[in-house]
Amino acid sequence: MKVRAPYEPPEEKRAQSRRAARLEWITLGFLASIIAVVGFTAGSSQAMRTAWIEDMLSLVPPVAFLVAARVRKRAPDVRFPYGYRRAVTIAYLVAAVALAFFGAYLLVESAIALIRREHPTIGMIEIFGRQIWLGWLMIAALLYSAVPPVILGYMKLPLARDLHAKVLQADADMSKADWKTAAAGILGIAGVALGYWWADAAAAGVISLDIVKDGFTHLRRAANDIMDERPQTVLEDEPEDLPDRLRAKLKELIWVRDADVRLREEGDVFTGEVYVVPADGSDILSGVEEVRRIANDLDWRIYDVAVTPVRSLS
Amino acid sequence: MRYSRPRRQLLWLLLLCSLCAGAAGCGDLPRDPDGTLARVRSGTLRVGVVENHPWASIAEGAPRGVEVELIREFAAELNARPEWIAGGEQRHMEALEAGELDLVIGGLTTHSPWVTKVGVTQPYFESRAVVGVRPGDATPSRLARAPVLVRRGTATAERVESADGTPVRVDNLFRLREAGAETLPVAAEDWELEARGYTLTGIELHTSEHIIATPPGENGFLARLERFLFDRRARVREMLKREAAPAEETP
Repeated sequence: MKVRAPYEPPEEKRAQSRRAARLEWITLGFLASIIAVVGFTAGSSQAMRTAWIEDMLSLVPPVAFLVAARVRKRAPDVRFPYGYRRAVTIAYLVAAVALAFFGAYLLVESAIALIRREHPTIGMIEIFGRQIWLGWLMIAALLYSAVPPVILGYMKLPLARDLHAKVLQADADMSKADWKTAAAGILGIAGVALGYWWADAAAAGVISLDIVKDGFTHLRRAANDIMDERPQTVLEDEPEDLPDRLRAKLKELIWVRDADVRLREEGDVFTGEVYVVPADGSDILSGVEEVRRIANDLDWRIYDVAVTPVRSLS
Repeated sequence: MRYSRPRRQLLWLLLLCSLCAGAAGCGDLPRDPDGTLARVRSGTLRVGVVENHPWASIAEGAPRGVEVELIREFAAELNARPEWIAGGEQRHMEALEAGELDLVIGGLTTHSPWVTKVGVTQPYFESRAVVGVRPGDATPSRLARAPVLVRRGTATAERVESADGTPVRVDNLFRLREAGAETLPVAAEDWELEARGYTLTGIELHTSEHIIATPPGENGFLARLERFLFDRRARVREMLKREAAPAEETP
């Protein structure tokens, strides 16, 4: 079979990818410390345990991104003649499924705790020879758990837009929202301190609702990707104007009587078919080459469109 | 402007935490959802006693034991009148969950499956089960299938086997009916062996961390009890040795 030519992103994008990968490694490092700190203080607070699981879940998008970034670089071969770009979509799907189902599980757990009227017991802990209420430590741990992800999340977001990277964007969104998780957890523990036993499970419920919402949003978008949905922007999930721009550009060509495109996303790149109706007597072979060059130059995300000359578009 | 939003969010978080830090200074936090501490002060302290000499026991309605003594002092601090209720662990724990008891004592440890269902204190005492020998006898560093006396009907036999010893099950560890068995090493808690004047070997069988159970979620009451126990931790070992030495095991 004819194997596709490998995808060559421009140097600027390669540098941005490297920067994104670096940020993801830093994220993993901070997450490891956060998981340790929150896990140590979690105790029997439902909100803390939910926050801890959410922190563990936060490991999935960066790992998915780093693995996919490595796999997608592989040149197409005989076994995968279309290449490995779809690895990115798989990574996105895995992350989305993890979020959606864990979020749902946590939501059910909090609901059960509320229905069973479970009163969370938070006692004292000995630190440096003195006793302090564990709840205060939990609050401190939650505050720490918010700071690095929020900062890193805001750093990753512009990169996600520039790289058209959905996994990165999902990760950045989740990280940015970590301040809400921490705030909910803190309010939950403060509620318990004041004697409101339900505050903890309620906070856990709020946090897990957020996770579920995120999870199902990304699940929907990942499924759309696999169904070859038309290209959408990363941040707003709105239709890209790229197909229209490409069609307009092609119709400008003298020898093209009419043209249309059909594009889809393949991971982080766009591919698809271009249909041109050439004027009589035009040099079709050179024309096809010209169209391929125009398409690839129009946007760095376009990869290997198939050009089909036809007699008419209908 | 790019970093104004995260900075604002983090500042809100910091404000929330400062409020909490300020609240931490307030003496009366955390509070009890069911007001246990307030009810017990100058009221009745209902204590479920699980029979477990020398930690707690009720003989002819007269409770005695290390934890009984501690709780008597605790009640005195709160100006409360202790009410001692005998019964098994299961029944007491269910009553604790239902709010019918304020405390359950009786040598409970962190190994109890109830620790996730009721409130428990931080461990206030760590007890190690070791092998002891009579004073003057050689202290082995390994057992090498040697026979070791263990109390019949306890899990100690299995632990002795794991430590490469041969358990010899008897009813009374320290007043033996079996002739010739008095010279054998004994597997028991470290404070028990010390009270009897035995020498401890380095062969450790098991560690237990002792706790007292409280109603779930009554964090103010729990904090008060934990502060009490924290101040008295150093005395527990001596109290145990005093309770253990004169009394005999009831067969």
